[in-house]
Amino acid sequence: MDDIEKKIVDLVAEVLVDVNKENIKLDSKIVEDLGAESLDIYDMIALLEDEFGMEISDEDVEKIRSVQDVADFIKASQKKS
Amino acid sequence: MPRRVAITGMGLVTCLGTGVDQNWNELINGRSGIRTITAFNADRCVTRIAGEVGSDFDPWQYIRVKELRRLDRHQQIGLVAACQAVAQAGIETPPSDPYRFAVIVGSGIGGLHTIEAGHEILKEKGPKRMPPMVIPMAVVNLLPGLIAIRYGFKGPNFGVVNACASSATAIGEAYRLIAAGCADVAVTGGTEAVVGEFAIAAFNALRALSTRNDEPAKASRPFDKDRDGFVLAEGAGMLTLESFDHAESRGATIYGEITGYGATSDAYHVVMPDPDGAGAYEAMRLALEDGGIQPEQVEYINAHGTSTELNDKTETQAIKRLFGPSAYKLSISSTKSMTGHTLGAAGAIEAIFTTLALKHGVVPPTINLDTPDPECDLDYTPHKRAKRNMEYGISNSFAFGGQNVSLLFRRAQ
Repeated sequence: MDDIEKKIVDLVAEVLVDVNKENIKLDSKIVEDLGAESLDIYDMIALLEDEFGMEISDEDVEKIRSVQDVADFIKASQKKS
Repeated sequence: MPRRVAITGMGLVTCLGTGVDQNWNELINGRSGIRTITAFNADRCVTRIAGEVGSDFDPWQYIRVKELRRLDRHQQIGLVAACQAVAQAGIETPPSDPYRFAVIVGSGIGGLHTIEAGHEILKEKGPKRMPPMVIPMAVVNLLPGLIAIRYGFKGPNFGVVNACASSATAIGEAYRLIAAGCADVAVTGGTEAVVGEFAIAAFNALRALSTRNDEPAKASRPFDKDRDGFVLAEGAGMLTLESFDHAESRGATIYGEITGYGATSDAYHVVMPDPDGAGAYEAMRLALEDGGIQPEQVEYINAHGTSTELNDKTETQAIKRLFGPSAYKLSISSTKSMTGHTLGAAGAIEAIFTTLALKHGVVPPTINLDTPDPECDLDYTPHKRAKRNMEYGISNSFAFGGQNVSLLFRRAQ
């Protein structure tokens, strides 16, 4: 995992009370595998926005399923800016 | 026929410590929890002292680290106090009859720290960056909701906002629900955690706070001639109330009984009590009437006793009017002399101290009462605790806004 991916795993672990960090893989699906509910997702978005200094729209969130999707999205928007 | 209401569990988190035993021990030994503020840099504030829940606050027994960040401080300390109260009662959770379990919790202000932090983000980063947990961490009814979620209590559930009488009102309403047969068990009490620059500045603007910054432990001095306002403090107190039948059927330990509740309004002024104390008098009278006892049967009063000139004089007058010459035979104390004023949590914290005073036959002292105000000439138990065998005690709570609440307690038989 690169630094961005590691940071994302940290943030996901911080939000999800019942999930241990060791169990979060890049291909873990955030809702199906890790059990995130809507409030967890909003909480994660706020932390990611703070950490990476960017905005994530609700439309973008719709497309994200896995931890890898989050990493890809953040790397893509960092290239754009 | 109203049902009898037992106290079967208690929990406390205050500037005197975490847990009922720790608090009681500090209290009867006359120790103050008031210190120089550490939570934030108070250099700009007129008042730089408060009662802060300290480093011994250890929520980990009940709250996981990750859960903490989604709880405002008033919810953290309130939840820990509630967990203590449920654990002491030894209730099996989730209960098999969940709709008979109520949760009623008071807070004067709620999640002020969260609102402040959210407002900072709004100003600095704009509305799209507002954290999603601001509302659930700010509103007063979320803590009773969280307690219900944790234990599976599905009966009546609400927050009570009534300034410095919030948790006394909550306890009174919980008592009535059980007495009337609408619930068998209630977790009830209050919590407050607003010590911060915003609240200190706001209460300073009302000229309500002591500014005895050089002598924090001596700042809260109810009924003393040299008092100069109340001392803001953090704290939470929670009780498990239960119908006698319910408590006895499961063999629960009964620590005390609530037998009366009186509530009135001064209908007089925004922040000043009615100087003749009519509302406070009537609240106490109603509590005694509700409990079916005569004034002479009361031996202890845990006074509202805020250490403000207006409160202390008015409360003394109201007590004298209700008790007549026997007012001088009462043992009175203001435990705020040690805990400071926890606003919406005060009624519950003091309900627990009243229960313990009756149970142990010990009157907690009013510390710092060096030079009694000539208009406050009752027995406020100055400096040192007193031993006294007592059956009935009253706890008073009065609010900015004119609300008056008196609760009547009876020693466990």
